[in-house]
Amino acid sequence: MKPIQESVGKKPMLGWLIFLVTLVVVFLLGLLASSIMERRAESVYAYTPQVEHGQWEPRNEVWGENFPREFESYYNTADTTFRSKYNGGAMIDMLEVDPRLVVLWAGYGFAKDYNQGRGHYYAVEDLRNTLRTGGPVDDKTGPMPSTCWTCKSPDVPRLMNEIGVAEYYAGKWSSKGHEVVNPIGCADCHDSETMNLRISRPYLIEAFERMGKDINDATHQEMRSLVCAQCHVEYYFNKNRVKGSAFVQLPWDKGMGVEEMEEYYDEMEFKDWTHALSKAPMLKAQHPGYEVYLKGIHADRGVSCADCHMPYKSEGGQKFTDHHIQSPLNNVANSCQVCHREETDKLIQNVYTRQDQIIHNRDKLEELLVRAHVEAKKAWDLGATEEEMKPILMGIRHAQWRWDYAAASHGGSFHAPTETGRIITTGVERVQEARIALVRVFHKYGFTGEVPYPDITTKAKAQEFIGLPMDKLNKEKETFKKNLVPEWDKKAKEREATYQVKM
Amino acid sequence: MVRLLKFLTPPPKWKLPVYVLLGIFFGLGCYVLYLSKAASYLSDSPETCVNCHVMAPQYATWNHSSHREVATCNDCHVPHNNVFNKYFFKAKDGLRHASMFALRMESEVIFILDEGKEVVHNNCVRCHSQQLTDPKLAAKVPNHAHNTQDRVCWECHREVPHGRVNSLSSVPNARVPLPESPVPDWLKEYMKETELENE
Repeated sequence: MKPIQESVGKKPMLGWLIFLVTLVVVFLLGLLASSIMERRAESVYAYTPQVEHGQWEPRNEVWGENFPREFESYYNTADTTFRSKYNGGAMIDMLEVDPRLVVLWAGYGFAKDYNQGRGHYYAVEDLRNTLRTGGPVDDKTGPMPSTCWTCKSPDVPRLMNEIGVAEYYAGKWSSKGHEVVNPIGCADCHDSETMNLRISRPYLIEAFERMGKDINDATHQEMRSLVCAQCHVEYYFNKNRVKGSAFVQLPWDKGMGVEEMEEYYDEMEFKDWTHALSKAPMLKAQHPGYEVYLKGIHADRGVSCADCHMPYKSEGGQKFTDHHIQSPLNNVANSCQVCHREETDKLIQNVYTRQDQIIHNRDKLEELLVRAHVEAKKAWDLGATEEEMKPILMGIRHAQWRWDYAAASHGGSFHAPTETGRIITTGVERVQEARIALVRVFHKYGFTGEVPYPDITTKAKAQEFIGLPMDKLNKEKETFKKNLVPEWDKKAKEREATYQVKM
Repeated sequence: MVRLLKFLTPPPKWKLPVYVLLGIFFGLGCYVLYLSKAASYLSDSPETCVNCHVMAPQYATWNHSSHREVATCNDCHVPHNNVFNKYFFKAKDGLRHASMFALRMESEVIFILDEGKEVVHNNCVRCHSQQLTDPKLAAKVPNHAHNTQDRVCWECHREVPHGRVNSLSSVPNARVPLPESPVPDWLKEYMKETELENE
């Protein structure tokens, strides 16, 4: 074979052919390289978020740009059409349904107004509307501290981060009205970088620390309940930590049961208010939903809140967590029936049976508590001494704490029916002991009759009985809604317009 | 051989441009190998399979399945009867995947081919043979062996391990270790610095 040089020298066409072949090969190789490059770039850009926002972005709509499915299903919590037998997503005036509550809470804000809550979407709106928050006229008036906003909005962790926790807890409720405007949402439970679940409220982390546990050790499945436990727990306001600030604190130091928390409160001689009729040092159980759930069989089997209240759903071939947080009774197929192979009606009936069984005794306890309060007032009127009344009032305190613990942990009679039943039974026992002691006092002061049960068949009658100026309260609220609320919204809008969000 | 080398050796005055050209040619080749992470294909690591982002749904569903703990992609998707067959099948299958991907011929919903099915089924049996040969059941249940062995496993175990349907858009938010930008960090930093200086 001759050297290529000679061949090319003889046939110039051959040189051109080699040139062309090389050209084509390099060209194709270049094409391949750029194709690989393009497709690699795709994998970088295909999953680039629509917006980039800060860790404490309070506006749910901004997070929703990146997660439209979760966001849209979350805003379904605005739906109020579903009502179960006792609860559901509709607003129910509980004082109208059960006027005894007015007497039980005499002297406390809940006697003014108490509704079965609507979905998370209404958190801020309903707090503004309730008579309990009163009718402030500026940022220094009103009955409630800033602390009452704590569970209502992702603006709260933002504020805590911006101005410090103690400063956030300081001042009146009305002082933060223009800051807290977005309803409970994304930033309350999610980390913006990873979308991992995260705890955004300091008091839950502290409560774990005081129990000798580290919340960072919680598994993903536990976090699916713990993010809920940031609010659906029993708490009280600790005013001794920093002067002028009301810190939210969870009474879990001795344990998470009803007796342990009662002991905790008794030991520190804490009371939420003094009862207007009986003068008993009362405790208000808030909503120990998480603590009661822990006592139930579902918690024992490792089922989390989200498993039933936010089950997986499928849409367009995509599986994701349904962020429409609601009663599982409105979505039995995706909650109960994932594990239980029974008909929908049967499963719902199983829930109602438990609720029926328990509400009967709860109502009885309620009636006995009303009687105890009125009888204690009678004893005071007869001239009973503080010393005589003290053990009686403690009995009433403990009994009503148990009643409230069972009543306020919505869903408790399903989450942990035996525990809820047990709590009510011990409540009945305590209130009856107190009433026996009251009879002894009556005997001493020569009263042998029966103290009449008050006429509290309606909310209005009950509120009149305890002497609430409802007209005044309603008028104050109307003025507040007309004057202050629009101002808050305007200020918030101006502030949020300055937030840096990269599109 | 010597003649062939002689044939290919350029005349002295062409040597320099030919070296340069060959360098460009091989350099481009190396660049393609680097871009496509060619070396990673020799491993058994599941991350290799998401070098192409169209495999993200398969990776994400596997990563959420119980098989994540015990089996990699290759444990199921390439034959394990002998080492030559393993690499032959892997090369054949991999080249097919690479070509489909490079030519943008992937479908919106990717299904396994018959050849792949056989491999996967044999691999199910490889680990789960205990469950298939239960003498007690075989003796008692009529047609037990027949019923369990004349079909592919996922005719019944339909969700194992990837779920039923995986379209390219079924897991938009899954965390999958997709290849990052091929530009190394030091270069990015440098570009950013020069950009700032120019401003």
